[in-house]
Amino acid sequence: MRLRLEKRPSPSQFMLFATPLMAVALTMVIGGFVFTLIGFDGFGAVREIFFTPLMNPLKWQDLAVKATPLVIIAVGLSIGYRANVWNIGAEGQYVLGGLSATGIVLLTQDMSGPWILPLMAVAGIAGGMAWVAVPAWLRTRYKVNEILTTLMLTYVSVNLLNYLVFGPWKSPRAFGQPQTIAFSADQSLPYIIPGTIVQLGAPIAVIIALVAWFVMSRSLFGYQVRTVGAAPYAARHGGFSANQTIWVSLLVGGGLAGLAGMLEAAGPFGRMVPQFPTGYGFTAIIVAFLGRLNPIGILIAGIVLAITFVGGEVAQTTIAFPYPAVGIFQSMMLFFLLAGDVLVRYRVRIGNRASAGDSTSEASA
Amino acid sequence: MNLLNARPMKTGISRRNVLKIGAAATALPLLGSRAFAQKATVKAAFVMIGTPDDNGWNYGHDTGRLYMLDQLGADKVETTVVTNVAEGPDSERVFRELAQQGHDIIFGTSFGFGDYMLKVAPQFPDVKFEWATGYATASNLSIYNAKFHEGRAVIGTIAGMMSKSGIGAYIGSFPVPEVFMGANAFHLAARKQNPNFVTKVVYVDSWYDPPKEADAARALLDQGVDVITQHTDGPAALQVLEEAIKQGKDVIGGFGQGADMSAFAPEAHLTAIIDNWGPYYTKAVKSVLDGTWAEGGFWGGIVDGEVVIGPYNAKIPADVVAAADAVKDGIVAGTYHPFAGPVVDTNGNVQAAEGDIIDDGEFWAAEAWYAEGMEA
Amino acid sequence: MSVDLVIAIVITLIGASTPILIAALGELVVEKSGVLNLGVEGMMLCGAVVGFAAAYTTGNPWLGVGAGALAGMLASMIFAFLTLTLSSNQVATGLALTIFGAGFSALFGQPYTGKPLELFRSVFPPDLSMHPILKVIFGYSPLVYFSLIMVVAVWFFLQRTRAGLILRAVGESDISAHSIGYPVIGVRYMAVAFGGAMAGIAGACFPLLLTPQWVERLTSGRGWIALALVVFAAWKPGRLLIGAYLFGLIATMELYAKAAGGVFRVLPSELWASLPYLATIVVLVLFSLRARGSTGAPACLGKPFVPAN
Repeated sequence: MRLRLEKRPSPSQFMLFATPLMAVALTMVIGGFVFTLIGFDGFGAVREIFFTPLMNPLKWQDLAVKATPLVIIAVGLSIGYRANVWNIGAEGQYVLGGLSATGIVLLTQDMSGPWILPLMAVAGIAGGMAWVAVPAWLRTRYKVNEILTTLMLTYVSVNLLNYLVFGPWKSPRAFGQPQTIAFSADQSLPYIIPGTIVQLGAPIAVIIALVAWFVMSRSLFGYQVRTVGAAPYAARHGGFSANQTIWVSLLVGGGLAGLAGMLEAAGPFGRMVPQFPTGYGFTAIIVAFLGRLNPIGILIAGIVLAITFVGGEVAQTTIAFPYPAVGIFQSMMLFFLLAGDVLVRYRVRIGNRASAGDSTSEASA
Repeated sequence: MNLLNARPMKTGISRRNVLKIGAAATALPLLGSRAFAQKATVKAAFVMIGTPDDNGWNYGHDTGRLYMLDQLGADKVETTVVTNVAEGPDSERVFRELAQQGHDIIFGTSFGFGDYMLKVAPQFPDVKFEWATGYATASNLSIYNAKFHEGRAVIGTIAGMMSKSGIGAYIGSFPVPEVFMGANAFHLAARKQNPNFVTKVVYVDSWYDPPKEADAARALLDQGVDVITQHTDGPAALQVLEEAIKQGKDVIGGFGQGADMSAFAPEAHLTAIIDNWGPYYTKAVKSVLDGTWAEGGFWGGIVDGEVVIGPYNAKIPADVVAAADAVKDGIVAGTYHPFAGPVVDTNGNVQAAEGDIIDDGEFWAAEAWYAEGMEA
Repeated sequence: MSVDLVIAIVITLIGASTPILIAALGELVVEKSGVLNLGVEGMMLCGAVVGFAAAYTTGNPWLGVGAGALAGMLASMIFAFLTLTLSSNQVATGLALTIFGAGFSALFGQPYTGKPLELFRSVFPPDLSMHPILKVIFGYSPLVYFSLIMVVAVWFFLQRTRAGLILRAVGESDISAHSIGYPVIGVRYMAVAFGGAMAGIAGACFPLLLTPQWVERLTSGRGWIALALVVFAAWKPGRLLIGAYLFGLIATMELYAKAAGGVFRVLPSELWASLPYLATIVVLVLFSLRARGSTGAPACLGKPFVPAN
């Protein structure tokens, strides 16, 4: 007896939507059991991690804040992933976006006006794009694998950040601590819901997801990206340039990561500090997959991931659930989702009966 | 829906009930009017950047918490610890969550929490916030810190007397005030014993990278250093010293940072600077119980028992112990100051003239400089 | 510089390089079979904490190495099952493995923090291992010699054995390899298991070789450097050795330069820390230029393969 995969003629739409839900449900059940077995309050943890943040309206604002950068970055990444372009260094592009916006802040220290914030946004996007342009150029010109170059530039970006905040950008009023000056009101995002901490970034994330959904499903560009990713040879026949697709999808991904960095710097952070990179760029990769590389799915997945982060803190404070275990819950969720992926594209047969399935080597995810 | 009613606390009673019981228990004293209500029980929370078992910074704060619990009694105080909180917007959420859960006093035990505590504090005027190593206060936010550099003066004295090569080293995390003040205090004290003492300052650009800290210690030992003190959160450097002693190298040893680390290096561990937050935590939480908590800043040192010098290694000669104790007693008596002049920096600028003392607060706010004879 | 100092630098840099070299050797074999496992850091953390626990409990460093290898291999089997049997995306699965490893090691390691361990020292007699000159040859932990033997072994396996040829064929063209009758998935399973075991041993190097303690995140990102190193070496074991020692030299020289003081300190440490990554990118470009568009990467790297039945 063995598992055998039989390719579906087309991806199962039902499984496409069902598997993420199954992954979350399985994580709760199996995670709850496993942690109970090893002596923790496993199901209490499931309650606090997955349900408390949803049930408590006070937590909704936190979810919005936490999900915003995840959604924006993941939407950008998903476009590249659809085209089979693997930018995994969004963290670096996010940092560069934040740094570029901070550069504008320092240049406009003594100025005011509503034009500063849009300028910071443009700078943030440009910063993210510039950082991803290096891997894009290396990939299209020299066929250098972008997975590795984007990842490596992330480490360089963190060092650049440290150099700036410990050196030339250090605030003179920071008591020697590595941080820039605080952003002024004109350099910070406005709050959009009075009495909460929800800033302009949250609606921007929703709009980006909707626009991306429209572009990817309704425009020629979306079709081009999907074709280049799924069938590069057909795409070439159809007149789509692979290099152009690589460039555009990487620049969109880098630009959106840069924008997320700007929104985070001008929003929740309010100044540039060495702690600015918090792993959003990496978590967004998980969000992109959990959301099935679909912008609307990503919007939901971003909120799910945000729930686990916020809930993880709740579980720590209420039932003293250990922090590292939250990471285990998150990785379990992703493992189950990835395992479930197979159900979307294949029927799983058990046994040795011969089938009509053909040898397939899939380039797509 | 209300969070406070939605979820019973560990003890099975909601915050509202706690307050009711509290009010009943203290009903009589409350008849006299007071600005602050006394409390029968207090919920205190501690927010940490790492985990209490880091053998260093967070360990120190957690030990302080346990001391406080022991002093005030578990029937009076209930504590919550949140670990691995990033110094960014994530911490803002944690502080708000803790305040909403009904904690009466919340300690943010790292500098980077400050911006977010200052944001959250005004939203919860009844909750007291305490920011470790901070620089700004609010009506319900106090700051507290420790004069770690006083401990550095004591161990610098030991290093200056015991070093044979006359070269010591200070493995630092980042050039922030806490660190460069400590390095200067160490060096100035060592120079009082050996006027030619040299201190090499090496920054490893992390509070926490054990392999790199260990390699830095190896690099320093290979270049003539025979005594090392580290200002990072772990015993990696001490373990390298211990190994060198085992191999028969001419190495004096090192010092525990934040906590007694002798378990990691019984031979090399000369003594330790122990962060003893317990007395302060006891005082702060008790003031909430009494209803006397007030906005302010506390910068405790050896005299307050907040900075403690650990037991001396048996191999330290008696005269060195006597000198170290003399420095310690001098600091307590106010006759010895780590930054007493004359102090000249590496660029030849006079930082303090003969008879002058560099004020701790002034130094804290200054740009980094290093005293003559330091290599940084 | 005196001879003593040169010897000291060599010993430090070889120590610092060894875990990276071991992990990279494992990943090289994995990638040669056409699989990209980005979970090296996670597997290293599993190996580090389990290796520490075994060595601490038994007092035997050899058991620590073995337990670390086993832990890394078990972690890699999660990855193998998902990516090979269920043909999930390798990038996402590798990242999930890293998150898992970080969480698992922190949780599993809680009882072991604050406990000192004995280093895994040289097995040669002190006359050799402590000799001022000869220690540059005999003064290392068995883990260092193991890493050097494995460089030769991996090279020999890939270039001189039939099994190695099959593994490379699977990585270069899974479809043709399959059609000739090679078990593509089986070969990749074995490659991933080997990579996991090596990453586990590399993790165990941290408490046994470098800093004899367990603390959370003990490997401090060295697994990512191992990934960069494989690319830097253009998937060749010999170059991996050179590259690992070069990376180690850069990291070590930063600290020696800082300790030496004076003119050596002009370079900002952030630049030192960026050098391995920048160097890798430059090398990638150079290789690409010379080999007309090929960096030596296996053609099927990162692509799932689903066999027909």
